[in-house]
Amino acid sequence: MTQPNVKVIKTTKGGRPDEPGSRPPVKVALVEDQPKVRESWIKLINSFPDFKCICACVTGEEAVRVIPAEAPDVVLMDIFLPRMSGIECTMRLKTLLPQTQIVILTAMADQELVFLALEAGADGYLLKRTKPSDLRAALLDVLGGGAPMTSQIARRVIESFRQKAKIRDESTRLSMREEQILMLLAQGHSNKMIASSLELSIDTVCTHLKNVFSKLHVNSRTEAVVRYMASKNPK
Amino acid sequence: MSRFLALGFFLAPTLLANADGDMPEKQKPLPQMGDSYVTNGLGSWIWEDKTLDDQTCLLWNTFDIPTSSKVTKARLVMTVDNEFTLYLDGRELGRGAEWRELFVFDLTQLLKPGRHVLAVSCYNGSFFAGMLFGLKVELADGENVEVKSDQSWKVVPEGVSRWKTRTKAQPEWAAASIKAPLGGTPWWTVPDAVNMMPSLQPIELFFWQTGWFQISLLSLCGLVILVSLRLMTQLAMHKKERFLLQRERERIARDIHDDIGARMTQLVLHGEVAQYELPADEEMRQRLNWICEEARGLLSTLDEILWAVNPRRDTLRDFVDYVCKYTVDFLAPSKIQCFFEVGPETSAVALDLPPRLGLLMAVKEALNNAAKHSGATELTLQIHWRDERLVIVVRDNGKGFDPALTDPLRNGLPNMTQRMKELGGHCVISSQLARGCRVEFSVPLHHPRSSFWGWLWNDKRLPAYDSGTSNDRNGEPVQSHDPTKC
Repeated sequence: MTQPNVKVIKTTKGGRPDEPGSRPPVKVALVEDQPKVRESWIKLINSFPDFKCICACVTGEEAVRVIPAEAPDVVLMDIFLPRMSGIECTMRLKTLLPQTQIVILTAMADQELVFLALEAGADGYLLKRTKPSDLRAALLDVLGGGAPMTSQIARRVIESFRQKAKIRDESTRLSMREEQILMLLAQGHSNKMIASSLELSIDTVCTHLKNVFSKLHVNSRTEAVVRYMASKNPK
Repeated sequence: MSRFLALGFFLAPTLLANADGDMPEKQKPLPQMGDSYVTNGLGSWIWEDKTLDDQTCLLWNTFDIPTSSKVTKARLVMTVDNEFTLYLDGRELGRGAEWRELFVFDLTQLLKPGRHVLAVSCYNGSFFAGMLFGLKVELADGENVEVKSDQSWKVVPEGVSRWKTRTKAQPEWAAASIKAPLGGTPWWTVPDAVNMMPSLQPIELFFWQTGWFQISLLSLCGLVILVSLRLMTQLAMHKKERFLLQRERERIARDIHDDIGARMTQLVLHGEVAQYELPADEEMRQRLNWICEEARGLLSTLDEILWAVNPRRDTLRDFVDYVCKYTVDFLAPSKIQCFFEVGPETSAVALDLPPRLGLLMAVKEALNNAAKHSGATELTLQIHWRDERLVIVVRDNGKGFDPALTDPLRNGLPNMTQRMKELGGHCVISSQLARGCRVEFSVPLHHPRSSFWGWLWNDKRLPAYDSGTSNDRNGEPVQSHDPTKC
């Protein structure tokens, strides 16, 4: 769970039907406002044999305009962008491209931002200083299984759902089993331990967690942007 | 009652004259009063050197009652052409406005041993002016003290302050001049009437009416106001300081985040790209890799500084997040499985920088001990509120130790105890051989919702800043954070 595993991509997203045998490279879109940084990212992504950077946007506005047509598999999103923030851009892109995985990039580790990004609909969260090998592994991980859930995030998710428990309808509320899994996660249990203690398969646990995330997104997408704006402007 | 008396006075003054002690008694003619003639003891008609129309003349004199003697009788007889106001020791005794009559005051109860000041503010309407005065004080030992209107009286110039209570005459005060002897023209030989003025009692003041009490009370009030003002200023300054500190911390956090952090991250990124562009066997590639690794290590240190500095992280939730994440990262290489038990009430409670940092350092120390010495397979971190205290427990299932036999310096107890002491808390280590080890940190923290006064005062405590952070960072093993784990 804590160690990113390289997984075989089961989906054939972006794969062309006339090349059934070969695995096409993962299409990556990038949103980054700094020109030199953008260049370096493109080089870095293209250095991986199974990844290809197909599109690089400078602003969130451009990303919302351009990226849907490109239909990438993964979007790497800088969180601090001029005008439209990475969080807001994530929220908009996720509604336009629900199948695309969005990974937020930040310079500094900040738990608050991780959770905000996840609430806005991001599927993962990476530090920009991540080693290239780890970066590749983490991207494959996101493509294979969605966002990783740590005990801290699980605690936040539980809290977030508790706060909204009264106003949301049944379909976006956590089920008993989901809450149970989250509680165990918050206590530090790994997916494997949870699976064995609840007598479930690991896949089932993962499915539950995916459902938790989609419910979280539905519940908090707009709110996450509002809170992000508030955290940027304390006054 | 007084209205009735006033009415009665007009209707039947003679009937009421004896009954009503408050009203001047009129007896005409009355050349004699008791043991002596009323005019006995009177001096001459005195006035200022020059007599003018519409003139105010201030006449002043003193007399002494010998100490250790008792006044048995004191009678003052006087009149002024045209009007007077009489003061004794600054207290107004009475007024008169008829030169044909005499005014008699009984001062028996007013005179105590010591010096007394007689002050008469006289007014002349027109033509002749003069004051006739006689005071006879009989003492218990048979001695008499007499004051008559003569040249011993002084004329006080206008504009002298507190002249009615001054016990010494100023050199520039002129002596009064005698205008006529008693019975001399143009004045009378026998007064038309003798007015017995209302009997006078010494003014008995309640203690709260006395000057010293009022002055002390006023000064006390003043003092209290001053102290309150000072406290309020201090409070305002304190709040201002807190605010400035908060703002400064925000600024530093922003600088670290937006500037140092962002630029160093770029360096790492460019370094990685440069590495990739070099041939695989190039020695330079190794060096570049080393530079990138160093920069990553630096950035994780910056992460921690940013967390500590950022005032937004001054909540218990952020503390819990950080400590849990740190625990996971720290124990990842050691194969110790960690579990968390975090109380649900710990979310948005404010936790100031000093306890936040002190507790983190203490937990780090406990984790370090567990990882190095315990040989445990499981470690539990508990964070709870209990009786207004934040309690953090680090418990492992390792081999434990006998506290009595173990060198206290080795288990880090003095260090952790000192840290907790600085925060007003305590640290308890309990362990038994083969039964694991339990370290409990407990720090008093006011739950914001539990205290009305806390809400009213709205004052977060600001304990001394723990200056030991940088030292502690040197002491801990260098941890390279794996960002993919966050």
